[in-house]
Parts: sequence; structure tokens; C-alpha cells
Amino acid sequence: MIEVKNLIKGYAGRTVVDIERLNIRAGETVGLVGNNGAGKTTFFRMLLDLIRPDGGEVLSKDINVASSSQWKDYTASYLDEGFLIDYLTPEEYFTFIGSLHNLSVAHVSDYLRQYEEFFNGEILSRGKYIRDFSKGNQNKVGIAAALMQKPELLILDEPFANLDPTTQIRLKTLIKNLSTTQRLTTFISSHDLNHVTDVCNRIILLEKGKIIKDFYTDENSLKELEAYFSE
Amino acid sequence: MLSTFLSHQWKSFWRSRNKAGSIAAQIVLGFFMLYFLVVAVGVGFWMTAIIEKLMPGVNPTVVFNGLILYYFLLDLAIRIQMQDLPTLSIVPYLHLNISRKTIVNFLNLKSLFSFFNLLPSFIFFPFIFINISAANGFVTVLVYLLSILGLIVFNNFLVLYIKRRAINNVLFFAVGILVILGLAASDYYGFISIRDFSNFAFQNVAKYPFLALIFPAAAFAIFHINAKFLTANLYTEELSTKDDKKVSTDYPFLNRFGRAGELAALELKLILRHKRSRSSVIMGFLFLCYGFFFYRMPLIENDEFGKMLFAAIFMTGINISVYGQFMFAWQSAHFDGLLVNKINYHDFIKAKFLLFTISSTLITALSAFYGFMSYKLLLLHLAAYVYNIGVGTVVVLYFANFNYKRLDITTSASFNWQGVGASQWLLGLPLLLVPLIIYIPFGIFDKPYWGLAMLALLGLIGLLLRKYWVGVIVRKFEKQRYKIAEGFRE
Repeated sequence: MIEVKNLIKGYAGRTVVDIERLNIRAGETVGLVGNNGAGKTTFFRMLLDLIRPDGGEVLSKDINVASSSQWKDYTASYLDEGFLIDYLTPEEYFTFIGSLHNLSVAHVSDYLRQYEEFFNGEILSRGKYIRDFSKGNQNKVGIAAALMQKPELLILDEPFANLDPTTQIRLKTLIKNLSTTQRLTTFISSHDLNHVTDVCNRIILLEKGKIIKDFYTDENSLKELEAYFSE
Repeated sequence: MLSTFLSHQWKSFWRSRNKAGSIAAQIVLGFFMLYFLVVAVGVGFWMTAIIEKLMPGVNPTVVFNGLILYYFLLDLAIRIQMQDLPTLSIVPYLHLNISRKTIVNFLNLKSLFSFFNLLPSFIFFPFIFINISAANGFVTVLVYLLSILGLIVFNNFLVLYIKRRAINNVLFFAVGILVILGLAASDYYGFISIRDFSNFAFQNVAKYPFLALIFPAAAFAIFHINAKFLTANLYTEELSTKDDKKVSTDYPFLNRFGRAGELAALELKLILRHKRSRSSVIMGFLFLCYGFFFYRMPLIENDEFGKMLFAAIFMTGINISVYGQFMFAWQSAHFDGLLVNKINYHDFIKAKFLLFTISSTLITALSAFYGFMSYKLLLLHLAAYVYNIGVGTVVVLYFANFNYKRLDITTSASFNWQGVGASQWLLGLPLLLVPLIIYIPFGIFDKPYWGLAMLALLGLIGLLLRKYWVGVIVRKFEKQRYKIAEGFRE
């Protein structure tokens, strides 16, 4: 699904991302962990062609993401509020995103009905623009809009941050279900080791831009990670 | 504390992303200022000679007295358009242990360091020192100086006050302009005479020196009002907005343009739902009055379109130059989202063309009332309009690819004064001058209608080749998109 080759990015003489080789197979749920400045977000931005790498390339289904925008057909993502058009109402935003994937208004509202539980009654028909919502609720809008695109590849940066506990648990079940029912490939970064080990079947540990650990999760993964971070 | 603010501002200027652009703008502005300063010094020192030459036999002091208030009225009109509001992004300071008074004081103090406050002293002081002191003595000189300084400060803070209020309420701006225009018009048509009034006032001031205290008192009053308004509004704007229910809207009219129409609708919502963009659109309508300054019957009768072209281009293309010069940055808050989603860049650019064309068409249609003055003005507007949508839009959108500076339109409009001063007009200037340069040769050889036809032809060519231009802009955009996105993320 995703193939990363010799990806390098530096800022002001400091290397932020330096990944020699990384292969992600379809259907994997990958968790990206690492302390601040490990290069998680920069890596995601390069996956999404938002930053030009200094060297190397990211192949999505064997096509370089920088040379063609075909990947946009099957990739959905939410990194931060910069992805939301914040002067729209959530309904307008969902309709707009839906229209990009040729979904009619009826389709969109049909789809949103599934997520009533996830929204917990706080998003739809509240008579507010997205910018007037709290950060957690903005997160919900962004994640739901990403899921609505029926992607094959989903990229979420710190999706659990700012969410209330109920929604965190609901989101975890949602991602787990999607990966089994739709063979969704997911890329998640998080600081919460509990959540990551719970949701993901593969964990990649970044430090100063380099992959220092890459393993499939089992019952010992959490302890292993905690041991690493408490050093 | 004040010096800390200054050093922070200094750093923010030198460390800004668009440094080269802002330095260039400052240099050009600097040249303009230098020129006006030299003129002012010249006028100041040769004031007596100039007055005697223009109005022989009249007492120069009388003319000088008449000039003072006249000048300051004009000064007010120019300042309203040109004077920059002092800026300081206050949000990072609000929660710290810094009193509001300090912040307000800084903003007010900084505003005094303006070119507009320097100019009048160069014009008026020489005459006061040379003539008034010779005729009336030391006390009168002191009184004159006090009055002039008072008027300078008064104008300074009055304009700041009007501009600050206008950001949230365009009505203030309209009323301010109308009052000034009204005074100027009633002077022009002889209902009142500002010169006589000014002369009367200053003769009395010379006679009863204590009267001069009125000016500093007025200055202090407006300073106080201004400071009070600022102190009371140091909140970020959200705290004071009304809590009305927002509804989803749809513009079926734009749907017929396909994906580009959808994107245009999105941007239309952006314009209508932010104060910044909304007021710049409303200003565009206010500037429809510009024609009354430029269009004069003798010019129209002699087909001297060159002297009116500026106004025509300006009016019909106001939205292109005012909205367009910040292009792409309006969307800086969600630019990443636009790039990541399945949006074709061709549609993205086409949407902008669509929006420009619609707004320009609307404004041009509204400007048709000048047709009552002469049908020739309609031709002029038509040529300017076609040129604007054919050539102006292409230029603006091409250069939008080089704008990496984030524009914050959501947070606290009251303290967001990017682009409400001289620097804003400066960037639009080349756009307005090029058509003039194209026209001038035709004007010189007395072929005015050919000149208009030439402009229209260029515009038409631009329109017919629009597909090609969209391609050119998209190719540039694809190259620049990382840089733009990076700048907008800051």
C-alpha cells in the first residue's frame, strides 16, 4: 500500500525525518509513537504531499504522491484544524467534502446518521460554525469527514487528543471495526500508549526522525513501550 | 515595557516570512515620503513668495490663516485612506502581568510616529517663525505652534478612532467620509467658506492667546476617547459577538458552474462570514463614488479618457485588486485541507476567476449610473471592465502564487489591521498603472477611442485565452504549493 524509500527532510540543518525503508501492507493498522520532535507530523505531511521531501520518495500504490494526485481518490486524513474549513457549519462542511467524492446531500446525511452516537448530539444542527466549536468537537468533525470518504488509507494525527473518554473509546471501536470489515489501512500517531497498543497491530517507534523499533503488537507491547519511554 | 514591545515589533518585522516584500514596500513608501517632505519644506520656506504670486495685494497672513483649517481638512481626507493603524498582536500579552493601560499607551504613542504628523510642521512652521514672529511677537508664535500641534494630534487620533470603529462597523467610515465630503462640497459651492472661518479663528487666536488652548483640549479629548475605546475593546472579538444561530446556506446560482462553482460558493461564504473580507467588499461599493472626483464635464467633452481611466479601472476592478492582493492567504487557515482533499487545481483557480468575474460584472453594472453624465463614461467603464477581467485577474492570480504570508481573518478583527493602510494601496498600484501606460500613447496622438479599444482588445484576448492562463497559473501553483502551505502554517 505504502512504500517509503530513503525519505529525508531537514529544517535548519537538523534532520527531522530520515526513513530508509518502510513498507505498509493493505489492511494494517499502524501506530506511530515518539516524543515531541520525533518527526511524526512531518512524516505524515510528506505522506500527504504537503511538504516536499529533501530526498527520497513516498509511493502510494506504487505511484509517487508528489507526482500525481491519484492517491487523493482513496486517502482520507485529518491532522489538525488546518484541515477544516472553519467558517462553515458542520453540515456544510460534510456536504462539501461529500460532493468532492460525488456524494449527494441525501447520501451525506444518510451517512451521518451512522455517526450520531459518535457525535453524541453535539455536532449536528447546533447552529454554529466549526470555528465556534471546542477543539474536541472540531476533532470529531474532522475525523468523521475523513471516514465519510470511504478511504482505503486513513491518516490521523493524534486523534485521541482533546476527545472526551467516551468518544475515545467509541473511536477505537470504530477504527478496529473498519480495519476488519473494509480492509482499511490506518496510520495513527498518538502519545497515549494504551490506545495505540489497543488499536494497532503494528507499532513504529520514531526517534529524531529515525525508525528505531518496528514490531507487531502482542500482549507485551505496552510494557515494552513503557520501558522505552521511561528510560 | 514600551521598549520591549518595540523590540518585539522590530523582530517581527525582520523575521517575517515576507520580509523582502515588506522591505521593498517600505523603500517605495520612503521615496514617496521623501518627495513630499521636500515639497513641504519648499512650500514652507517660500510660502510668502507663493502667496504673493498667487494672490497679489492680499495680506499673506490672512491667506495663511485661511489655509490652516483648509489644510487639516484635506489632511483628514488623505489620512483616512492612507494612515496605517499601529499594530501589535496583543493576544500573547493579554494574560501576562501587563496593564491594559501600557498596551494602549504603546499603541497610541506609536501612532504619533507617522509621516502625516511630520508634514504639517514643515509646511507651517517656517512661515510662523519668519512672518508671524516679525509681525506679532513671541507669544503669538507660541500660540500658533500650540494650535498647529494640537490640530496634528487631533487629526491623528480622530482618524485612528474612525478607522478602528470602521473595522467593526463600516457605517463609521461612510459617515466620516460623507462629513468630510460634505464640508468640502459646501465650501466648493460657496455655502460656507472654510478659509474665511479659518482666518477668523486664527485672527482671534492671535488676539486672545488663551483661545489657542481649544486645539490641544480637542486633541486631548479625542485622544481620551480613543484610549477609552481601545481599553474597553482589548478583548478578543469573540467575547462580544452576538449569539445568533448560524444556518447552512446554498447558492444554487453557482451550481451550474460545476466543481469550480462549488469552490466559488465556498469562497463566497468565506467572504460573507468574516468581517475583514466583508468590509473590504463593502468598501468596494463605497468607492463607486470615486468617479465624482475624477469625471469632469470638460474632460468628457474633450475625450480626455487618460485622466479618468484610473478611476474607471479602480472602480470596476476594486474587488480584484483589494481582495486579490491577499489571494490564497484568505484561505490560509485551511489551506492544508484544500491540498489534501480531492480538489483539482484547475477547478481551484477557475473558481477564483469565476468569483472575480461575477463581482466585477456586478460592480460595473452598478457603475452604469455614471451614464447619466455621459454615454462616453459607459464606454470607458466597459473597456476598463473587460481589461480588468481579462488581464487584471490573470496578473493577480499569477502573483498570488508568491504570497506566503498567513492572513488571520478569524481571530479578533479589532486588532488585525494587516492591509488597512498605505501599504495596501501600494501593492495595487502597478495593477492600476499598467492600463494607463497602455492608453497614454493613444492619448498623445489624439486617438482616445482607439486607446479604449486597445484596452478592451487586450482584455478580450485575455478572456479568450483564459483556459491557457488557467494552465499557466496551475503549473506555477503546483510548483509553489509546498512553499505557500508552509508559510500559511506559521
